[in-house]
Amino acid sequence: MDALLAALLEALKLSGKLILIIVPLVTVFEVLRHLPVFRKAGNLVEPAMRGVGLTRDAAIPLFTGIFLGIVYGAGIIIRVAQQKGLSARDLFLMGLFLATCHSVVEDILIFMVIGGSGPAIFSMRLGLAVLLTGLTARVWKKA
Amino acid sequence: MSEPEAAGVPDTPVPGIPERIRTGLSAGVRTSRKIIKVTVPLYVGVALLKETPVLDRLGHLFGPVMGLFGLPGEAAFAFVAAFLINIYAAIAVIAPLHLTPFQVTQCGLMMGVAHNLVVEGGVLSSTGARGGVLTLCRILVCCAGGLLLRGMWHLWHAVASGPLAFPGPS
Repeated sequence: MDALLAALLEALKLSGKLILIIVPLVTVFEVLRHLPVFRKAGNLVEPAMRGVGLTRDAAIPLFTGIFLGIVYGAGIIIRVAQQKGLSARDLFLMGLFLATCHSVVEDILIFMVIGGSGPAIFSMRLGLAVLLTGLTARVWKKA
Repeated sequence: MSEPEAAGVPDTPVPGIPERIRTGLSAGVRTSRKIIKVTVPLYVGVALLKETPVLDRLGHLFGPVMGLFGLPGEAAFAFVAAFLINIYAAIAVIAPLHLTPFQVTQCGLMMGVAHNLVVEGGVLSSTGARGGVLTLCRILVCCAGGLLLRGMWHLWHAVASGPLAFPGPS
């Protein structure tokens, strides 16, 4: 019985820590994401996106996925992908990038809560995503 | 949904700050509810099982595979939780196992790449991308990334503590 209570207490403490991270994070993102600076960010990242073979049409779904995650950003990702009529190649490259590197802020913060190294996780994920997407883009030539 | 739009930006009206805070908070509360529902039972379950020989025995079974990534066999349960449910489920399984900082980092990398495969695969498919291929890619990247991180970590420690210690960037 004691063990059960102790485990329950620890479990609630862990949940509390995770919630303390997630709620402010989502709220701040929601407030910031309509700022003009972010809406214009597409221009700044264009060279970087060309490097991994993507067009700027993919910028919004890509960045939504990187910061927010695939499920939370699903609405935006699906809507923009359809409106823009992204090509199969763009969609696959974007998907590959996001598969490796999405929801970075949230995922990394919660692993830091239990003692992981944030910079190590972030640099590995970003590095792998850029490498894989860049390589695939060079193999799969634009139609 | 076919209105013309400014370059690169979906043309939806921008809600006011209070409205945005409300949207953010309600999304946060929804996520929090999900976190508690998943984390508490899993954490308690694993913590209690840890007192019995069950976890140990099953852990031994996966020991060789998990060992490739520098992880203990019990970490296999965290992978099952991560793949099928989500990252919160994985955290709930990892926390009571008391892993080393490297092992937590390793889990963070591998599970960060491959988690919630069923639901996210569905979302990626509905954008028109090939969801199945992408899900396979995630599992492969997860394994490759894990091997790479383990190698790099070993190298780092060999260099940082060995006779060839870096004097540091100058």
